[in-house]
Amino acid sequence: MNAGGRREISGMHEYETQLAGLYEEYYDKIARYVFIHIGNREEAEDIAGEVFLKALKSLKSYREQGVPMQGWLFRIAHNLTVDYLRKADRRRTVPIDSVVLVGNDNPIGTAEIHIDLERVTEAMKRLTTEQREVINLRFFGGLTSREVGGVLGKGDGAVREMQRAAIEKLRGILRIET
Amino acid sequence: MMTDDFDRILDECIDRINRGASLADCLSDYPKYSEKLRPLLQSMHDVQKACAFMPSADSKRAARQRFHAALDRQRQVSAPSSFLRVIPRSAVWAIIAVLVVAVMAVLVIQPVLNPLTVVPSPEGNFAFLISDEPNDIGDFESLNVTISRVVLQRAGSLKRLEFTPETETVDLTQLQGEQSQEIWRGNVTAGRYSHIYVYVSKVTGKLESTGHIVDVKLPSSKLHISMPFDVTDDAVTSFTFDITVVATGNNGRYILKPQIGESGARRG
Repeated sequence: MNAGGRREISGMHEYETQLAGLYEEYYDKIARYVFIHIGNREEAEDIAGEVFLKALKSLKSYREQGVPMQGWLFRIAHNLTVDYLRKADRRRTVPIDSVVLVGNDNPIGTAEIHIDLERVTEAMKRLTTEQREVINLRFFGGLTSREVGGVLGKGDGAVREMQRAAIEKLRGILRIET
Repeated sequence: MMTDDFDRILDECIDRINRGASLADCLSDYPKYSEKLRPLLQSMHDVQKACAFMPSADSKRAARQRFHAALDRQRQVSAPSSFLRVIPRSAVWAIIAVLVVAVMAVLVIQPVLNPLTVVPSPEGNFAFLISDEPNDIGDFESLNVTISRVVLQRAGSLKRLEFTPETETVDLTQLQGEQSQEIWRGNVTAGRYSHIYVYVSKVTGKLESTGHIVDVKLPSSKLHISMPFDVTDDAVTSFTFDITVVATGNNGRYILKPQIGESGARRG
């Protein structure tokens, strides 16, 4: 095997190692991102796991994308989510009872937050598709604006602008409905 | 410009909050923009809080196991075989090249390097004879030359054909002057030939004077004459290859040589 061949395999191993390293941090974020789209906890967890398996199989194509790996993972997550919604032909409703809330042991407080979740998801539907995707990737995926731009094929300046506009719109919707 | 600056600051604050910073920390770092930042960052906080969802540990663990199992399988598949690990790819290509050359040799070069063998036939169009130009042949009571094969090379080509003499051993003392002995007759491909190689496997000379067996050498294992001649299908071409023996001095040694001046083809 020549040096090029060794570099190729070595490069693949580096990508595999990088992907494995992202698992712990990004499994949760991806599951959350998917959950916001499909509103089903178990399905979101399954899809999050599927994202990493699909990424592993497609590592060769990743090298040609020029996108940070975490952004690439969310692109896969987005595609799987779209496939899931298309196949299931489901209404995008959030099964409130299945949501596990973090850091809230108060039943009354939990009920209030359940209501907020429903309102937030309804408010999100009133954003443009791109604004909604920016918010999902920034707030729940934890990606930077540059990484979001890589996923959406936009410049980071455009992402920042969409982000501000989306938050202002969300705030307006949520404040009016309060 | 102001909007662009604000977008950048807002973006930076969102990054910091995503990394665990508090809303208050962000606002305190940008007092000029805090009034405008606060409602937006608060909205972000509310949305994140409302949608907070943690996957179950069991699901995450199960997915992790599936991922690492798949990773192991992929690494086993992508790993080169032990053979390829040991041998550099350049060497593998070299081996392939050698194999290709070997196949070429079998299919193309082999007929050139290994002449086509032709079989004898009484009605053949070609006869091969051996004669002897009398030089020092008088020194010998007998001079037996064993010929293993004869090769004819086509003119302007590397193609060759060969035959094994029907009479392998000739006694040159019996073939002096105009005497000759046909050692093979058969059909050869019509055309022009330019080189004749007579491969000698054994020479046994017995001196007339002493009766001793003497060593008769060949410059090489073959006798070679370069002489064009034609073979046709409608006539018999007889080629006489003249061999002569000469003493190398007064040391009692002799060598065999082709005698081109007495060799040649005739038709009819």
